[in-house]
Amino acid sequence: MRRAAPLLIGAGLLLPLAAIEPRAWLTLTVAGLAMGMLIFLVASGLTLIFGLMDVLNFAHGALFSWGAYAGFTVAVAVNARWGWAASPSVWANAGLLLLAVAGSVAAAFALGVLLERVIVRPVYGQHLFQILITLGATIVLEELIRVVWGPNDQVMPVPATFQGSWDVADVVVLRFPAIAIALGLAVYAAMQWLLTHTRVGLIVRAGVENTEMVQVMGHDIRRYFTAVFAAGSGLAGLGGLMWGMFSQAIRPSMGGEQLIFAFIVVIIGGLGSVTGSLVGALLVGLAYNYVAFLVPKAAIGVTMGIMVLVLLVRPTGLYGAGR
Amino acid sequence: MSDVLEVEDVHTDIGQHHILQGVSLRVRADAVTVLLGRNGAGKTTTMRTVMGVLPPRRGAVRFEGRAIHGRPPHAIARLGIGYVPEGQGIFATLTVEENLRVAMRAENAESRERMRRVLGLFPDLARFRGARAGTLSGGQKQMLAIGRALVNPIRLLLIDEPSKGLAPIVVEHLVTALEAMKRDTTVVLVEQNFAMASRLGDDCYVMDGGRTVYAGTMAALAADRVLKQKYLGV
Amino acid sequence: MSAGVITAVQAARRAARRARGRSPALYLRLALVAAWALLPALQPSYQLLDLALKVALFATLAASYDVVIGYTGIVSFGHAMFFGFGAYAVALAVGRLGAPTYGHLLLGVLAGVAVSGVVAVVIGVFSLRVKALFFAMITLAFAEFALILAVQWGALTGGEDGLSPRMPGVFAAGAAGPLGLPGRVVTYYALLTICLGLFLLMGRFVHSPLGRTLQAIRDNELRAEALGYRTFVFQLVASSFGSVVAAVLGGGYAVWVRYVNPESALGIPIMLDVLLMVIIGGIGTLEGGLVGAAVLLTARTLLPNLRGLGGSLVAGSEILQRLSERWLLYFGILFVLVVFFFPRGVLGTLREVAARRRGGAAPEA
Repeated sequence: MRRAAPLLIGAGLLLPLAAIEPRAWLTLTVAGLAMGMLIFLVASGLTLIFGLMDVLNFAHGALFSWGAYAGFTVAVAVNARWGWAASPSVWANAGLLLLAVAGSVAAAFALGVLLERVIVRPVYGQHLFQILITLGATIVLEELIRVVWGPNDQVMPVPATFQGSWDVADVVVLRFPAIAIALGLAVYAAMQWLLTHTRVGLIVRAGVENTEMVQVMGHDIRRYFTAVFAAGSGLAGLGGLMWGMFSQAIRPSMGGEQLIFAFIVVIIGGLGSVTGSLVGALLVGLAYNYVAFLVPKAAIGVTMGIMVLVLLVRPTGLYGAGR
Repeated sequence: MSDVLEVEDVHTDIGQHHILQGVSLRVRADAVTVLLGRNGAGKTTTMRTVMGVLPPRRGAVRFEGRAIHGRPPHAIARLGIGYVPEGQGIFATLTVEENLRVAMRAENAESRERMRRVLGLFPDLARFRGARAGTLSGGQKQMLAIGRALVNPIRLLLIDEPSKGLAPIVVEHLVTALEAMKRDTTVVLVEQNFAMASRLGDDCYVMDGGRTVYAGTMAALAADRVLKQKYLGV
Repeated sequence: MSAGVITAVQAARRAARRARGRSPALYLRLALVAAWALLPALQPSYQLLDLALKVALFATLAASYDVVIGYTGIVSFGHAMFFGFGAYAVALAVGRLGAPTYGHLLLGVLAGVAVSGVVAVVIGVFSLRVKALFFAMITLAFAEFALILAVQWGALTGGEDGLSPRMPGVFAAGAAGPLGLPGRVVTYYALLTICLGLFLLMGRFVHSPLGRTLQAIRDNELRAEALGYRTFVFQLVASSFGSVVAAVLGGGYAVWVRYVNPESALGIPIMLDVLLMVIIGGIGTLEGGLVGAAVLLTARTLLPNLRGLGGSLVAGSEILQRLSERWLLYFGILFVLVVFFFPRGVLGTLREVAARRRGGAAPEA
């Protein structure tokens, strides 16, 4: 699988060139990769939570939404105070983005810790109840957003210099998607580094394979559960904020809408594999954009189609451990 | 000298099934205590109860005089008990070295020194140290599993059916390695392979139907053909 | 089977059957059926009749979901989708094939059943072999996909606005039925009979040897496999059965409400409703669905009145205003609380208490 992935992505990237002319292809590719990266942010946390804790976390979508709204609140406040969104200065814009990111990640992280301790831990091991309880938590969290911020769509302030596009050799490259791609790659690199070069990462990787063994080696797996859940939540929050800026609007149901994509990506990529969710997310993002350009109504079907195809060939997902 | 491990009339359930119905053992220090019995007698369940993976419904488990039943597995492990489960529990996607590192309770100079000694004890592991553990042979995996238990300072080692599924010559190597270790470690060995058990064991217990039905020395059991036939069908 | 000698299992089954015949539960059930049957005679308001039938329909739907989730132990999110298939099939057959006839209605029901059966089998073949979590996610993906399809394929399904077909004969709006009864009452009885029939069918299913095997699989899949049962086949049969029943009920819903759109027939709200009904009533109790449906639907009809009341009390603050409007919030909180404190649901807890009083004898599952 390690060797096949580059081939897959390469094929995924190059095939559509047969049907789409190069300049449109480039724009679509950038959009597709960006969308993929944003889904990756959500899916990566989800897959680790599944892989390590065996928890089907429906609340992940709510964390996505809360991250977006928290970041939105920070962005609006900062912009109101210092005008950093409208400002033409890259530094001010970057500052706003950074603060918004901090706000969204912190809020989602904190919510994640709370959820794990209060909602998820008591029903650990009982799949049905986990599903139900995280579902209930999602409903409550989504409704709370409607209570606090109102049920309507809100416009997300996007920093001025991140809007619009660059003109690269007569090709239109949208700026924000490019930033999203860079961010996604950075997150992926950071996660991989954490997983392979730190002790915590080592224990998490071992736990994904066999939690019981990790425990009899003397490690309190519950702490790692909380850590992974919280980290995954933070990532979801970040994904929410970025998605909000990407679409320039946020609404309370955004989490639920994106969650299904994240689920499909986790299925495609395999439980517990961060690389798997990256590959899956990029495939889904690209496929969606190419197909939406060619045959708009079939776009949603394509993601399902990829999922079905993967399930036929490898039921545990592209990078999934054969469980 | 008090016993290192004491299991007193333990009853354990898995779901609705009463697997253990009164198990009692006493494990002497610096000796190898063997737990024998047919398939399904409850030997593995006993080990898992001691390690805290399964909570006993009744009875007590004491390590060096202190009660450990009801405590979570990681706390029990940290008291100085190493566990090599049935099927080894190797992390296939991690390398050999990573497997050893995960097993360390804390990664420090002392643990790394022990790891070096383990690699010295099992040269195959040294040779494949960077390889993914899933690619090892059965015998090598077993060595790794035992090696993992040894990277920590332990006062008690629990090993569950190490010879299972291994070729006779590999079992031979295993026995040699264990003989080298047994002199200064207290070991509880669960085995169905009687030949191996009788070579290594000092004391022994036989289990049947979830209960301990015989307690004595290995030598006594090995000499008594009637008993062997009755409990082990050997 | 040798004459005169019965095995222990057969003896136990006979004893259970005799006990069931004498148990108070049987009389309770008969009383409930009578209550539903006699309701129209009391000249109830339109809303009350509507509520009663909806409770019956959804109770049966919840029971069919319980067969899948409670008796077979498969967590699936596709159930509302099958309900929707049935509803749309009937709506399309009756509305799009010319003047509606009973034949069209039957065709619609059969089509809905067929589609649901096939889809259930297809999804099952794909996904029953993987981890339970995966399966749940896959059914969710399919359900979402069906929803999006229904919304996008406007030409066929009427898109978001849905379909408002005219029903044939006595089921049509404002029709008059035999014996001077209004068409609505006849429809009521027809659908009630169907619900009852389906309930009995499901009861036989779960108490049959097949049903018991399914419960064994639910409790310990490895053991069942070891005993030689092809668990995969059994699970497939059970989930297909549940889906087919849901489809029939969907058709019935279409006949009663005469309006089908993605949100009300196919969407997540229905799925959540059914889930909550099963949880409240009790997983693995079949009739728990009745308790759950009654509680949920009655609360929902009363809620708008409460909402108005609540709204007027806190007219000042915006946030408090919103808090009083968002009944879904309380739904969610209720959901979580029920799962935490009453995981066995109303009926499940009652049965457990009764069983303990009986001194540990196995409760009627």
